[in-house]
Amino acid sequence: MARYFGIDKIGKLFSYIQQNGGIRNTLWKMYRMDEGKAGTLIGTDKYGNKYYEDPTQFYGRNRWVEYVEHRNLEYDGSQIPAEWFGWMHYKTDLPPHRDGNRKHYKWMADHSENLSGTTDSYMPYSTTRPKVEAWDPKKSTAQ
Amino acid sequence: MLRNAIVSSCSLLSKNNSQILKSIGVFGVNNQQKREQKTMPVVGKDSVENLPGSAFGWKQSNWADWTVARLDDVLNWGRKGSLWPLTFGLACCAVEMMHIAAPRYDMDRYGVVFRASPRQADVIIVAGTLTNKMAPALRKVYDQMPEPRWVISMGSCANGGGYYHYSYSVVRGCDRIIPVDIYVPGCPPTAEALLYGILQLQKKVKRMKTLQMWYRK
Amino acid sequence: MLRAPMFRALVLAQLPSRAGILFTTSRMQSNAPAKAPEKIEVFIDDQPVMVAPGTTVLQAAAQVGVEIPRFCYHERLAVAGNCRMCLVEVEKSPKPVAACAMPVMKGWRIKTNSDMTRKAREGVMEFLLSNHPLDCPICDQGGECDLQDQAMAFGSDRSRFTDINHAGKRAVEDKDIGPLVKTIMTRCIHCTRCIRFASEVAGVDDLGTTGRGNEMQVGMYVEKLFLTELSGNVIDLCPVGALTNKPYSFVARPWEIRKVDSIDVLDALGSNIVVSTRTGEVLRILPRENEDINEEWLSDKSRFACDGLKRQRLITPMLRKPDGEFEAVEWESALITAAQAIRNAPKDKIAAVAGSLVDAEQLVAVKDLLNRLGSELLCTEQKFPTADGTSGTDLRSNYLLNSSIASCEDADLVLLVGTNPRYEAPLLNTRLRKGYVHKEQDIAYIGPEVDLSYRYEYLGNRSLTIEDIAKGKHPFAQRLKQAKRPLIIVGANALARNDGKAYIAALQSFARQLKPEDKNWKVWNVLQTNASQVAALDVGYKPGVEEVLAAQPKVLFLLGADGNAVNKENIPKDCFVIYQGHHGDQGAQLAHAILPGAAYTEKQGTYVNTEGRAQQTLVAVSPPGMAREDWKIIRALSEVVGTVLPYDTLDELRNRMEDIAPHLVRYGHLEENNFYAQAEQLIKTQASSFQGDVDVNQKSLEDFFMTDSITRASPTMAKCVAAVKKAQATG
Repeated sequence: MARYFGIDKIGKLFSYIQQNGGIRNTLWKMYRMDEGKAGTLIGTDKYGNKYYEDPTQFYGRNRWVEYVEHRNLEYDGSQIPAEWFGWMHYKTDLPPHRDGNRKHYKWMADHSENLSGTTDSYMPYSTTRPKVEAWDPKKSTAQ
Repeated sequence: MLRNAIVSSCSLLSKNNSQILKSIGVFGVNNQQKREQKTMPVVGKDSVENLPGSAFGWKQSNWADWTVARLDDVLNWGRKGSLWPLTFGLACCAVEMMHIAAPRYDMDRYGVVFRASPRQADVIIVAGTLTNKMAPALRKVYDQMPEPRWVISMGSCANGGGYYHYSYSVVRGCDRIIPVDIYVPGCPPTAEALLYGILQLQKKVKRMKTLQMWYRK
Repeated sequence: MLRAPMFRALVLAQLPSRAGILFTTSRMQSNAPAKAPEKIEVFIDDQPVMVAPGTTVLQAAAQVGVEIPRFCYHERLAVAGNCRMCLVEVEKSPKPVAACAMPVMKGWRIKTNSDMTRKAREGVMEFLLSNHPLDCPICDQGGECDLQDQAMAFGSDRSRFTDINHAGKRAVEDKDIGPLVKTIMTRCIHCTRCIRFASEVAGVDDLGTTGRGNEMQVGMYVEKLFLTELSGNVIDLCPVGALTNKPYSFVARPWEIRKVDSIDVLDALGSNIVVSTRTGEVLRILPRENEDINEEWLSDKSRFACDGLKRQRLITPMLRKPDGEFEAVEWESALITAAQAIRNAPKDKIAAVAGSLVDAEQLVAVKDLLNRLGSELLCTEQKFPTADGTSGTDLRSNYLLNSSIASCEDADLVLLVGTNPRYEAPLLNTRLRKGYVHKEQDIAYIGPEVDLSYRYEYLGNRSLTIEDIAKGKHPFAQRLKQAKRPLIIVGANALARNDGKAYIAALQSFARQLKPEDKNWKVWNVLQTNASQVAALDVGYKPGVEEVLAAQPKVLFLLGADGNAVNKENIPKDCFVIYQGHHGDQGAQLAHAILPGAAYTEKQGTYVNTEGRAQQTLVAVSPPGMAREDWKIIRALSEVVGTVLPYDTLDELRNRMEDIAPHLVRYGHLEENNFYAQAEQLIKTQASSFQGDVDVNQKSLEDFFMTDSITRASPTMAKCVAAVKKAQATG
C-alpha cells in the first residue's frame, strides 16, 4: 500500500539524508551533482573518485560516480580512469579491485583527462614538409 | 542547474604567451611543440589543490570588476543551461544525433532542445558529410543564427572530410565554411560522445567573458 | 653562323610586312623601307584584305582575324613549313598550300574552312597522332598543349590507327640535355622550333635533326648539354610535351594554377613575367609578352630561380643574443630593439645600404625615415662614378640605357665596353644578336674575350684602347663617327671600379661628339646589373658604400644588401646592423636585428629597369611566416622610433613617390631623357686615369646562374652550375 502511494519514497529521502550525513551535506551534494541520491560504495580509484551502486534504481542510472571533493564543479567524464570505465558502462559487473584477471603492464600509461580548453590542450601540428624552408643561422649559407 | 551560475569563469589568460610563439611557427622553427604527457594528479585529503570554480571567492582587482564578473557568470549560466541546437543532420551521424534526444541519453536534462529554425538556435550540430553542394546552405543557415552562436562539428566527415576527404564533391571539413567550437571525433561518434561534446561546449560557454570584455573596453 | 644568304633572303622578304603586322611602334615603322610597295588584294574566306607583297597566306589571314592552325610556324623564328598543319585551299590551285610559307598572289581566294582544307588538316593530324604517344594523362604539357587543343578542334573524331600486331608506336630514346629541360623525345612532332630557336635566337648551333622519315630525331648529334642562358624558352616553344620544364615536372596542372602578372628583378631589364602559384607557393615563372623589353623570351635565371624563393627564407624577426646566436622573436620586440638603437644613435650616424633587389617603395620609405631623423647617409651597394662635390647621378641620362632596349637592335654599330650582355642581360643580348643576324649590325667589344653568341670585332681588353677611341686616334673611332646609328654600351660593373670615372669621362664626351643621323638617337648607354639601382639613384641614394662607411655610422640598415660590399672587415665595430630582406645570406650574417621582408613575388613593388622604365610587381603569394611587405616594416618602425612617416597605404606612399620622382609611378612608360650636354659638363670636371685592364664579372655560363640571394638559395641554379662545370671538365 505504501509503495502504491509512493510513501516509501519519503522513507527513502530520509534514508538518503541519513546516508549523506545530514541536510546540509545533502544540499551540498545536490548543488554539486543535481542529485542527492546515496548508494553502496563499491570502490574508490586512486584519484579519490568514489563509485556507487544502487540496484533499486533503474538500469542506466544505478551506477554513478562522485568526483573527488577538491574538483568541486570542475569535473568531467574523462576523469574516470580506464579501469573503472568498463564498470561504469556496464561492460563488466566486476569493479577493478575485485577482478583478478586484469593485466597490468609496465608500459601502460597513466590516465590523463581531457585537456581541451586548457593551456595544455593538444595542438595539432603539420607533419607535411613546410613549403618554405627557413634560414638557419647556425648552418653556413655558403654552398 | 543553479549551481553553475555561481561558478565563475576560470582564468585562462595567465599562461598564454608561450603558446603564441608555438602556434605561429608553422615553418619548422618549433620542434618543441610536443605534447607533454600529463597525468592526472593524485591528491590526498590533506593537500587540497586550489581549483578554479569556487563560488564567489574569485579574486577580482576591484569591486566593479567583481560585479561584472558575477554578472557574466549569471549570463553564462543562462546560456549554457539552454543550448538549443539546430538540427543539421547530413548523413549517418544524424542518427546518432537523434539518439541523444531519446530517453537513454536524454539531452533535455541539460536544457538541450532541438530547434527547427536557425533563428531560435544557439548551436548548430553539423552531423555528417558536408558536400560542396550543401556548403552554401550551411553557411546561410549559420549566418541566420543569432549571436552568440556556436558550432559542433560531429564526426570525421564534418571534422576533416573523413572517408570522403579525397572526393571531388566534399568539403574537407566544415571548418572551411564556418568556425567550429567543438570537434567530436568518431565515425560516427556515439551518442555519448556527442553528449560529452555538448558538455564540453557548456564548459566553453562557462568561460565566456562577454560583459568583462565590454567593460574593459 | 646564320648570316646565310638563303636565310636572309627569306627573312628580308617578309620584313616589310612583319613591320606592319607585328611591330606597331612608330620606331619600327620609321625603319621600314621608304618606298611603300603597292599593296595587293586577296580574299580570305571571301573577305577582301589589302596586304603588302610578300605577305604569307597565314599572315594575311591573321590580318582579318582568321587564325590558321600551325605547329612549326612561329612569328619570331624563320619559316620552316614542315608540319603541314597550316594547309589551306586556294581557289584554282589543285593542291592545298602551306599557309605559313606561301606568299600571297594578287587576287587569290583563300578558303580556310573549306572541305578540302578541313580534310587536309584532318589528314595531317592523323599522321601526327599515329606517331604520337597517347600519354596525355602523364604528360606535363597536358592542358596547355597545342597538339591536344588542335586535335580537339581539327582532328578526326575516330581513329584508324589499329595496332593489330602490337608492334607499338614509334619510340625514341630520351636525351639528357641539362638540368632545366626535360626531354621525352617520343612525343616530338618534329616542328623544329627548338632547333630554329637555338640557332637563330640563342646562337648555339647545338640542336639539329638526324635521320629521315620515320627515323627522324631531334637531338644534339652527340650526348651533351644544351648550354645556353636561354634554354628555358624551348619549353614554351615546344607545341607538344617533348620539351618540358624539369624542375616543374609532375608538379601541377595548368588549370590548378593561379597566374599573376609580374616583373622579373634578377637582372636589370625588368622582363615581364607571369608567376604561376598554387596554394601559396610559387611553382613556375613564364615570360609575358612585351615588345619593348623581353619580346616573349625569358632568361634561364629568371625562369628557374623561383625555387630559391622557398629556401633560406627569413620568416621571423631575429635578434642577436649576447652570445652571438640568433633568436627568433616577435615583431614587437624586434622593432623596439631596432628603434632603441636608432634613438640612441647620433642623428647623423644612421645609415642605409640598398641591395640589388629592393623596390622603390622601400627605398623611398627608408630615405624619408632617415632624412626625418636627420641623416643623409643613404647609398646603394654598387658604385657609380660621382664627381667630387657634385654627383654624377644627378642626371638620369648618365646611368640609363638611354636608347631603349628595343632600339638596340636598330643600331648599325655597337661598342660594348666592360660588359658581357650575354650573362648580365641575356635578353638585351638577343636584341643585339637580332640586329646582327637580321639587320647588318656590327658589334665591337672591349674586355676579356668572351663568347657573346655572335661574332664581334674584338678590340682587346686594354683600357688604353678606350682612351684612344675617345681621342679619335683608334681606327674604330672613325667608324663610330661614320655610323648612322652608333651605340656605346658600358657595363655598370666597369663603372663601379675605382677608375670608373675615367671610363665615364672618356666615353661620354666621345659619345657627345658622334653625330648620328637621327637627332634623337642616343649613343651613351649604361647597362645596369641590379634591378634596384636605377630607382635608388632616381630617388637620391648615393652610389657606393665607401662614403657611408667612412662616416662611421652607429646604426646601419642593410636593405637586402647581400653583394658583399658591406662585410665583416669594413663595417664599424660598434655599429648596430639592422638587416631587412627576404633571404638569409651574407647580409643577414652581419646583422644584430633581422626584419624579414617580402621577395619580389610577394609584394606590390615598383622597379625601374635599366632603360628607366618603371614597372610594378604584383602580389602572387603572401610573404612566408611573419615576413611582411618591406615598406610596411619601415612604416611600423617609424612609429616605434617616434618619427611617424605620413603614409598608411600603398597609394599614399605612391603619392609621395610621385612627389619625389613622377616617373616612378608611370608604369610601363619610358621617360625621355635629355640634358646630355649638362651631363657631360658635370663629368668633365672630374680628372681621373685608367688603372688596369677592362674586365667583366660574368665570363662564362657558370658565372651566370648565381648572382644574388635568391639565385644562391636556389637548388636548380646550383644544379646548373654543377652541370656546366661538369660539362666543361669533360670538354
